[in-house]
Amino acid sequence: MALQENNAAIDLRGVTKTFGELKAVEHLDLTIPRGALYGFIGPNGAGKTTSIRMIMSILMPDAGELRVLGHASALEAKDRIGYLPEERGVYRKMKVAAYLSYIARLKGVAEKGLRERVLSLIERIGLGGVDGKRCEELSKGMSQKIQFLAAIIHEPDLLILDEPFSGLDPVSTRLLREQIVAEHRRGATVLFSTHVMPQAEEICDHVVMVHRGKKVLDDPVDSILRRYDARALRFEPLDASANVGAVTALPEVERCSPVDGGYEVALREGADIGRAMQQVIAAVPVARIEIKRPRLEDVFVQIADDGGRSALDREGRPALVTGTRATVTP
Amino acid sequence: MNKVWLIAVREFVATVFTKAFIIGLLIFPTILAVMAVVGPRLFGDMDYSVKGQLAVIDPAGVVLPQLKVALAEGRSETNVSELIERARSGDAENAAASVLQSFTDLTLVERPPDADVEREKAWLNVEEPGAPHLALVVVHTDAVEPKAGESRLGSYDLYIPSGQDNRVEIAVQGALREAIIGARMGARGLDRDAVSGLVTVARVRSISVSAEGERGTVGGFNFVVPAAFMFLLFMGVMGAGQGMLTTTIEEKSSRVIEVLLSAISPMQLMGGKLIGHMGISLLAMSLYIGLGLVTLASFSLFGLLDLSLLLYLFIFFLIAFFTIGSLMMAAGAAVNDMREAQQFMMPLSIFLMLPWILWMPISRNPDSTLAVVSSFLPPLNTFAMLLRLASTSPPPAWQVWLSIAIGVAGVVATVWFSAKVFRIGLLMFGKPPDFKTLVKWARAA
Repeated sequence: MALQENNAAIDLRGVTKTFGELKAVEHLDLTIPRGALYGFIGPNGAGKTTSIRMIMSILMPDAGELRVLGHASALEAKDRIGYLPEERGVYRKMKVAAYLSYIARLKGVAEKGLRERVLSLIERIGLGGVDGKRCEELSKGMSQKIQFLAAIIHEPDLLILDEPFSGLDPVSTRLLREQIVAEHRRGATVLFSTHVMPQAEEICDHVVMVHRGKKVLDDPVDSILRRYDARALRFEPLDASANVGAVTALPEVERCSPVDGGYEVALREGADIGRAMQQVIAAVPVARIEIKRPRLEDVFVQIADDGGRSALDREGRPALVTGTRATVTP
Repeated sequence: MNKVWLIAVREFVATVFTKAFIIGLLIFPTILAVMAVVGPRLFGDMDYSVKGQLAVIDPAGVVLPQLKVALAEGRSETNVSELIERARSGDAENAAASVLQSFTDLTLVERPPDADVEREKAWLNVEEPGAPHLALVVVHTDAVEPKAGESRLGSYDLYIPSGQDNRVEIAVQGALREAIIGARMGARGLDRDAVSGLVTVARVRSISVSAEGERGTVGGFNFVVPAAFMFLLFMGVMGAGQGMLTTTIEEKSSRVIEVLLSAISPMQLMGGKLIGHMGISLLAMSLYIGLGLVTLASFSLFGLLDLSLLLYLFIFFLIAFFTIGSLMMAAGAAVNDMREAQQFMMPLSIFLMLPWILWMPISRNPDSTLAVVSSFLPPLNTFAMLLRLASTSPPPAWQVWLSIAIGVAGVVATVWFSAKVFRIGLLMFGKPPDFKTLVKWARAA
């Protein structure tokens, strides 16, 4: 079915890319609405970068169709797209401000007022004073921030970031995260790939996971976490020396093991989580008890371990996975 | 087009405003100037003199007196202008001998006519500080008068210590030549000076006649001009080609390429780089052409140059530049570093050496089959046709335009191929491709 013009920032239908024998991306369908903040996750070699390169029209798909910002190719909208590639670099001999100005000009920014804009962005990202330095003089983290600025200097409608946090220290990671959120608030559609699940969980509205070239997950983060089949409780006994043997003996409980000053209770399959919680409270007086919140990382690891085989439902839609079992989305 | 222009400007500025470029640009004229001034002092024989002992066995005893005279004359002041005149008159060998003699201080050691040659040879290897034993000459008995029943004259045997400077040998031979000729003429009652006067015809300087008038022909001008134009073409093409190869590899290895490709298409990048480096080459060529024209004007030789050659240089430069430059850029895109680029550069470099190999044959025989065929084989045709145009026998106009047409077709083909390879190669990392893979890329893209 041919792609119709719609309001999506990115729309992919059956996109496939093969390198020799390797199917890097296979029949990828993906729709990212305008203004959304999407995380693109998947293990190494899953096809994230190839997909992004096809979205950017740096690579051409072997099959399938795509639309970017309403155009049949990103080439037609390059000036409205900001891109931070995974393999990134700068002109080492160029001065920072000159480099940013050059990229901005290539992105269609007018020369008037550009210098001021460049300086203000450099200041905003905490690198005031480096504008006159050569890019080769910057540390890796500083260089990465400059590369991020190169991606947003033209205030793009669509911002695509391939592994933006790789190699950054925690302070720089936080700063960059704030900048990404700020771009989203400005109105940009953001798609970023990452291995760092807590960041994806924290920032994204929606997560798409690919594995071995196929999409295995495409859901809002809240939905994923809500529907995740949590079969674990965490509690802290009121008395640290309390005997938790009674908890282990409960029929709903598979095992109880100490974790971080408290205990984690793994429930048997099919256990009623509310009843199990009441049983635990009855067995041991607790200071605090909670359902162990599912984390995106768990989903990621499980799907990756499972090879993504069981991650799609009968209609080919992504399904959620727990352990070795897939929970079919309704 | 605006983005292509931006890339072109960046390439131009990033190259031209570097110390390396400025030094590289000035180094050639500087070397020429330094060589012109210092070279003769540095490499000339001005401070060299042949000094030592020369042993002579002259069984007939007729050459030895003449040799003494020749060596005595050699020590005297030499009239330089006379030497030059002799060289111009075709008597270069004698002139050279005279020059050498003027720096010669040979002490003659007369050996008995019946001396044992074998024993005398041992003398050559006897060390004598301040007066080295340079050579042993054994004059043939028939050096002046032929043997009975023969018409052919003899000469002499020359023995020298091993490892000796060849200038000693040249000096001794020059002196012996003078002495033997003097002895032969004396034996026949001839006046040496009179005979020299009879056999010497001064070489005249020709007058070049043209529609504009006539002037003294500048020796070597017609030989130097084709070489100069070929050098300009070669420098312009290779300098830019090397620059494009290097910058493409640098952009690829520093991974800035993907950032660029998010803003521009590979074709815009390639186009911008081509235009930028073309500007760099034209700047360098203009500087050298300007220097050349100023030099010609300062020697009042400006009128000797056919200025239409500059137009042809520009046309053939564009053809050669786009052909070689695009191939170089494709090579740069296909590899990961300069070391890997060598596999593609090697055959290209060998091919580009052909114009230098064919320079002399084409310049000397601009209408030969080799010259004509070379004029139609791209990318060699640009160099060959320019050599022919600058030669004394320019080709007919139809050949020039056919060569240009073939060159343009070659440009279209190579730019098409290079663009395909460039587009795919830019994002290919890892094992560098072979030629078969490059062809596959060109078909696939």
